[in-house]
Amino acid sequence: MTEGKILTMNGAGQAVSSDYAMTLLLKFRTVLALVLVVAIFAVLAPNFLTVANALIMLKHIAIVAILAIGMSFVILTGGIDLSVGSIAGLAGMVAGALIINGLPLTALGVVVYPSVPAVVGLVLLVGVGIGLFNGLLINRFQVAPFIATLGTLYMARGAAMLMSNGETFPNLIGNPALGNEGFSRIGAGLLLGIPAPVWLLAVIAAGAAFVAGSTTFGRRVYAVGGSERAALLSGVRVDQVKYAVYAISGAMAALVGVLIASDLVAAHPASGESFELNGIAAVVLGGASLTGGRGTIVGTLIGACVIGVLGDGMVMVGISEFWQMVIKGGVIVTAVVLDRLQERLG
Amino acid sequence: MKRLRAGGLRIGLMALALAALGACGHDAKQARLMVIITPSLDNPFFGQEAAGAEAKARELGYQTLKFSHGDDAFKQSELIDTAIARNASAIILDNAGAQSSVAAVQKARNVGIPVFLIDREIAARGIATAQIVSNNYQGAMLGAQAFAQAMGEKGPYVELVGKESDTNAAIRSKGFHEVLDQYPDLRMTARQSANWSQSEAFTKVQSILQAHPEIKGVIAGNDTMAMGAIAALQGAGRGDVAVVGFDGSNDVRDAISDGKAAATVLQPAWRQAQFAVELADKYLREGKTGQAEKLIMDCLLITRANAAQLSNFALK
Repeated sequence: MTEGKILTMNGAGQAVSSDYAMTLLLKFRTVLALVLVVAIFAVLAPNFLTVANALIMLKHIAIVAILAIGMSFVILTGGIDLSVGSIAGLAGMVAGALIINGLPLTALGVVVYPSVPAVVGLVLLVGVGIGLFNGLLINRFQVAPFIATLGTLYMARGAAMLMSNGETFPNLIGNPALGNEGFSRIGAGLLLGIPAPVWLLAVIAAGAAFVAGSTTFGRRVYAVGGSERAALLSGVRVDQVKYAVYAISGAMAALVGVLIASDLVAAHPASGESFELNGIAAVVLGGASLTGGRGTIVGTLIGACVIGVLGDGMVMVGISEFWQMVIKGGVIVTAVVLDRLQERLG
Repeated sequence: MKRLRAGGLRIGLMALALAALGACGHDAKQARLMVIITPSLDNPFFGQEAAGAEAKARELGYQTLKFSHGDDAFKQSELIDTAIARNASAIILDNAGAQSSVAAVQKARNVGIPVFLIDREIAARGIATAQIVSNNYQGAMLGAQAFAQAMGEKGPYVELVGKESDTNAAIRSKGFHEVLDQYPDLRMTARQSANWSQSEAFTKVQSILQAHPEIKGVIAGNDTMAMGAIAALQGAGRGDVAVVGFDGSNDVRDAISDGKAAATVLQPAWRQAQFAVELADKYLREGKTGQAEKLIMDCLLITRANAAQLSNFALK
């Protein structure tokens, strides 16, 4: 490895420039992958390059991307959060229950129907709560993140099923008399012609990129992922960082659950199944290392775009479901292989 | 001290286990057990199927246990083991795959537990005591007929197929095409699997609408996918697109009443499950069902005319 590097620096000009081109190519591979899939589908799929389709795709990307941004923080610390898909499912169900059945305050003997912003707030709290519980298992009880969040994956999914005995909460339109209408606007609403989830994604991505890149907290996240021991020795409260990243991931997952339920105007307890895998794939496609310490929010965003465009494009072309799975898997594996190559070339 | 505590704990656990065993033995004498296994409890169709069987079994004085296998043949096999261990009198099963369920059903039969299959059949005869299935092909043809009419017998349409590893997905699709392919002016512009899922159907129909904005109809292999399609069409302001589902769920019933869907096909899930329990009861009392092994129940078309009478997969 070192030998290769020295050769690059001291070798003939030819070798340097071709290596340089290779490195550059690898460095921007996610962007290239995105350009490539867009170009392919622009040729193959009718109406692919239209504003309307771009907005639909952005809406679908927002679901993957918001989840993946939360996941990025966790993966940057060297952890993993498998519970996000289930949290999304549970979050949708909690929102559905709050809108249809209200919040029974048994102590006071009344049922309160929270307004839609309050519903979203409560649901986000549920997400944060589960994230903190993940953090507790990982920090206090030294459970490996994979196992801790696998446990909460099952618990949250079970809780979602229990909330309605497995049934759907339909027609989440609210009731003007109870002052809780407007839930569907979160997922289906438009602002300046752009869907609300896309605005949400823009705000979240900008915020997350700032936090990860330009704040003390962000530097600590990278430090924990780079070397937990070194971070600990240099005075970083590793446990606090971990609580925070799982809480962020939980909140993002809950938000995704709200978006899905709002879009469908119905909450189904099986929603969000295997979303965690899409999230992880987006983060890895974006160039992050699963061992932590390396990756960017912008990378994750582009990774999510690749996943989203690929998924929608294949549907538009009419590729069979089975081939869709094979192709998606192929793209993910190729990305990781290129990642290894880049590491070797430095 | 620690050791003593551990010992105490072990004795406590053993006592608990013995108590549990005792309770089981006691129950077995008092009431016989029917184990009801369906693919999932969160899909309203399978949920009602399980509920229908449970209600009838309780009515006939049986204890019941409800399980779901999630279309996983291995999990199904484990659940059958559980049913055998609990000394069930009979098993009511909506199985996890025509080929992959044969061994599990055989396993129950080997220990003398009769298995009554509902909704889906298995690829073997003489193992299950009864196989009561809906006529999916006939139902699909009914749905396709209504779909063709709703589309005015012409125009481009989309087909949403169920999970492609599931026999019923293929049978329904064949039934649809048996009818639709006879109309020269009906043209299928897209065909996608949405794996029986509402959210998957939603995003896929959104994308298909972009590629083929000219579509005039969506025919779906089940009602949850039809609901996803309706949500996407309504969101795009395309109330003009005809939607036909399959199952007869309350959701699509309401959509039909609101003019958002043209029709669905009712599989009499509730009645079928209850019939299976009645047959099981008869078999346990008399040693035979008095019926052929394979029993086919026809599906019914639900349109605006009879939607109001539909509730929980039964026509009132």
